Amino acid sequence: MFCKLISKTLALEKEEEGPSVRLLDRAGRRGKRLLKGGVVAAMALVVLTACSEHAKRGWYPGSNETTNHNELLTHFWVGAWVAALIIGVTTWVLMLWVIVAYRRRKGDKGYPRQVAYHMPLETMFTVIPIILVLTLWGFTDRVERDIGTPVEDSPLTVTVYGKQWAWDFDYEYTAEDGTTEERHLYGTQAQLTGEEGTEETLPTLYLPVDVPVEFQLKSRDVIHSFWVPAFLQKLDMVPGQTNRMYLTPEETGHFQGKCAELCGEYHSEMLFNVEIVEEDEFLDEIRQLPEGLSGAELNRNPNENPDGQQDQEVPLGDPQRIEE
Amino acid sequence: MKINAKMFSLLGIFFLIIAVVYTIWTRGTEWVGIPAFFALAAMQFLIAYYLRLVDKEYKTGASDREDGEIAEYSGTYGRFAPWSWWPLGLGFSAAIVALGVAVDWWIFIIGIFVGIFFVTGWVFEFSKGQHKH
Amino acid sequence: MTTYEYTQDETQSRVRPQVVPVSKGRIVVNWLTSTDHKTIGYMYLISSFTFFGLAGVMALLIRAELFSPGMQVLQTKEQFNQLFTMHGTLMLLMFATPLFIGFANVIMPLQIGAPDVAFPRLNALAFWFFLFGSLMALIGFLTPQGAAAFGWFGYAPLSNETYSPGIGGDLWVFGLGLQGFGTILGGVNLITTVISMRAPGMTMWRMPIFTWNTLITGILILMAFPPLASALFGLGLDRRFGGHIFDPENGGAILWQHLFWFFGHPEVYIIALPFFGIVSEIIPVFSRKPIFGYKSLVFATATIAALSMTVWAHHMYATGSVLLPFFSLMTMLIAVPTGVKFVNWIGTMWRGSITFETPMLWSLGFMVTFLFGGLTGIILAAPPLDFHVTDTYFVVAHFHYVVFGTVVFAMFAGFYFWWPKFTGKMLNETWGKIQFWMLFLGFHGTFLVQHWLGVMGMPRRYADYMVEDGFTAMNQFSTVSSMLLGAAIIPFLWNIYYTARYGKKVTVDDPWGFGGSLEWATSCPPPRHNFHALPRIRSERPALDLHHPELIPLERRQKLNTKVGA
Repeated sequence: MFCKLISKTLALEKEEEGPSVRLLDRAGRRGKRLLKGGVVAAMALVVLTACSEHAKRGWYPGSNETTNHNELLTHFWVGAWVAALIIGVTTWVLMLWVIVAYRRRKGDKGYPRQVAYHMPLETMFTVIPIILVLTLWGFTDRVERDIGTPVEDSPLTVTVYGKQWAWDFDYEYTAEDGTTEERHLYGTQAQLTGEEGTEETLPTLYLPVDVPVEFQLKSRDVIHSFWVPAFLQKLDMVPGQTNRMYLTPEETGHFQGKCAELCGEYHSEMLFNVEIVEEDEFLDEIRQLPEGLSGAELNRNPNENPDGQQDQEVPLGDPQRIEE
Repeated sequence: MKINAKMFSLLGIFFLIIAVVYTIWTRGTEWVGIPAFFALAAMQFLIAYYLRLVDKEYKTGASDREDGEIAEYSGTYGRFAPWSWWPLGLGFSAAIVALGVAVDWWIFIIGIFVGIFFVTGWVFEFSKGQHKH
Repeated sequence: MTTYEYTQDETQSRVRPQVVPVSKGRIVVNWLTSTDHKTIGYMYLISSFTFFGLAGVMALLIRAELFSPGMQVLQTKEQFNQLFTMHGTLMLLMFATPLFIGFANVIMPLQIGAPDVAFPRLNALAFWFFLFGSLMALIGFLTPQGAAAFGWFGYAPLSNETYSPGIGGDLWVFGLGLQGFGTILGGVNLITTVISMRAPGMTMWRMPIFTWNTLITGILILMAFPPLASALFGLGLDRRFGGHIFDPENGGAILWQHLFWFFGHPEVYIIALPFFGIVSEIIPVFSRKPIFGYKSLVFATATIAALSMTVWAHHMYATGSVLLPFFSLMTMLIAVPTGVKFVNWIGTMWRGSITFETPMLWSLGFMVTFLFGGLTGIILAAPPLDFHVTDTYFVVAHFHYVVFGTVVFAMFAGFYFWWPKFTGKMLNETWGKIQFWMLFLGFHGTFLVQHWLGVMGMPRRYADYMVEDGFTAMNQFSTVSSMLLGAAIIPFLWNIYYTARYGKKVTVDDPWGFGGSLEWATSCPPPRHNFHALPRIRSERPALDLHHPELIPLERRQKLNTKVGA
């Protein structure tokens, strides 16, 4: 059927060519010069921006060492952008070239040849993108499997509850000597004033460096989204469902955490700090918190269902990953 | 007309394939997308079937022949309302009904009565009665 | 009351009916009771453009609030939430969608040589549904608690009674339900018209691209809007009558997202495809060549439409409940037919003879802008990259590049292109170019910088941010540019007034000189039933065959001659 299509369109092509009504002259020299200038300028721009440290990371926050996934994610991000910009710049230059070279000049008369089809060209521009897209998809899937694979027996499990408009953190930590700590923090809402100094007042999530951590993300009321920009990942906190994120922080430092899913009036006040510290400092910090876990008792049950708000096993999108 | 039926069946086949692939890939665990895909395919086949039916009933019209001549559509083209008050009224009463559902039931009741009036008017706008031909 | 019956004399006679001056009251009544597809189309265009202006003002308020940390312009964050909720609702459902139906209503019947649409009264009804439904959602602003504030995609459970009490939300739900019905009726009408009311000789493969895209968009409406209507009724049931459909305990939070995006993603293409169609009409006219790869363009459009039904969950990557590889594959595949479209547009200009009248300028602006939106779209299609930038200003920037780049640029292209067909007068070129450059620079200034904002950590829908975030400078740049963008509407309105007052009357059928489709074979503006006489339709460009017989390919001309001879 495809062949039939080609032959049909080829036949049409012949039909359309017909008598050429006074061919216009081809692209002018000025067009070529302008094109060259454009290419040089674009390359200069790329070279110049590539010098900046931020540009090299595609303006990603944090650094390659912030978590164990950051290097991979940053490389993928930059690579995808380079590929996208190559395609983009080529197309823009092509547009510019066509605009400049084939503009109707003063004194032009008549009409260009009425070509309407070029089957090989059209086929080529279908096949090449398909190959490109499948390649990108292959990379995507590999990176996705890398960062999404569950890590069994992480020493630290942090259960994060989103609530309007703050965060509760439940720490469950098993030290190397086998002692366990269970602590919790009821977070409070930020008070944005428009002045400097708000950040210091935010509740803080402490994480030990180089210790694998499993985040269990839950919600007490509406949908929230757990986002530490420097970790380069976010995951929604859906009521009645637990989402899990696995990572290992690899450098100490101070980072920001934010809610990224609209959750009501004070969505923009749902902020926290992240401190990644050495393990003993981490223990010192969490030992100041009340013992035990905050648990699910504080979940709101607005619909007054007899069963209350319960956790429900919602199958993850990819069953393969569940099985693994 | 054949091409229309063909277009809808092609869409139907596409959605059917996708539906099967999706069902297998999710191992039947996603209960919104799977029925939705099958419903999409069913809808396309329904339209395609209808168009094919119509196509069999009537011979190819002048609009589907490459050498159709404008004059072939001379004579009465169809019956069209030159203007009408009923759409505005019916739209308005539908708005009252919707407002009623959102606000309170008495508005809803008013809307229903106004709506009945305008639907009747719409239906009988061009009626000349049962026996007047 | 009598029906209007078209006779041969009507469609064939070259005598124009006498124009009798009418009173102002009569004009209002004529518009209110009109079943003329052109008048209804104008009503669509006028009301949707009004909503565009309103939503634009909301956007400027949002931008003004984000100018610096702290609350300056608005009193509460609730107001901010209402503004962006209604901005999104208006732009998507009360501006872009009805704008498409408006253009399709006016232009499509002309392009296929039909005297009207298939169901004129239904057409009017669809318009009133749209208008009243939209007004209903809008009057939420006048209620004590204000309009809906849960975002235009109304995620459950935030959108239920407990978390978003107030009548504004109810009005939003049922207003959108009503106007969704209007859209479905409009879609049915357009499909029927294309399938059954083409002029003799106007076969499917001779239809102009805009008509093709209208047909395909109509099919998309049939597939996408019913799920929205049912989801809205479910939400209405929960809110008003104590239903439990979208309770989180039943997995309702995810169910809502599935239903909403099953509508929401095709919706993006419902508002994109027809505007691709407008651009595909304009580029050949000003390149003085036929559209390059007519059939592949149609296939590309159909492929985009089919694929767009299979990608909804890419809006839900971060929920952790969707099949990532499937949806990222399907999403990336959409890039292929979209790329084919670019090849076709550039191929049309290739070796053409291009002039840069305002419609063409807008079309080129669209191509430049939309391309970047497409590239960021591919990046967003990859889940590992999406996890970082989703729900940030990166996404805001992305979809404004895609949707604004398509709808608004192509809308102005269409306005400048078809204004003589609408009104009989050409819009002023100078003011058009001033407007284009103001809007182009304002747009890129507003939204380009938002990509960086998002990547560096600014979530969307934040009413406020901290000084320590370091977002202030970029937000200020964006806000200042947005004011330029907003100001670009002034020259347009002035241009309309100026043209109405001083514009020269167009006396020819085709003022651009190279129009191909049938709307350029009738007077400007067309008579009540569109054509006094139709040319013989023997190619995709019947009007061009009529006005430029010298361009008809040899073979076809010979065929014609032998036919006439025999």
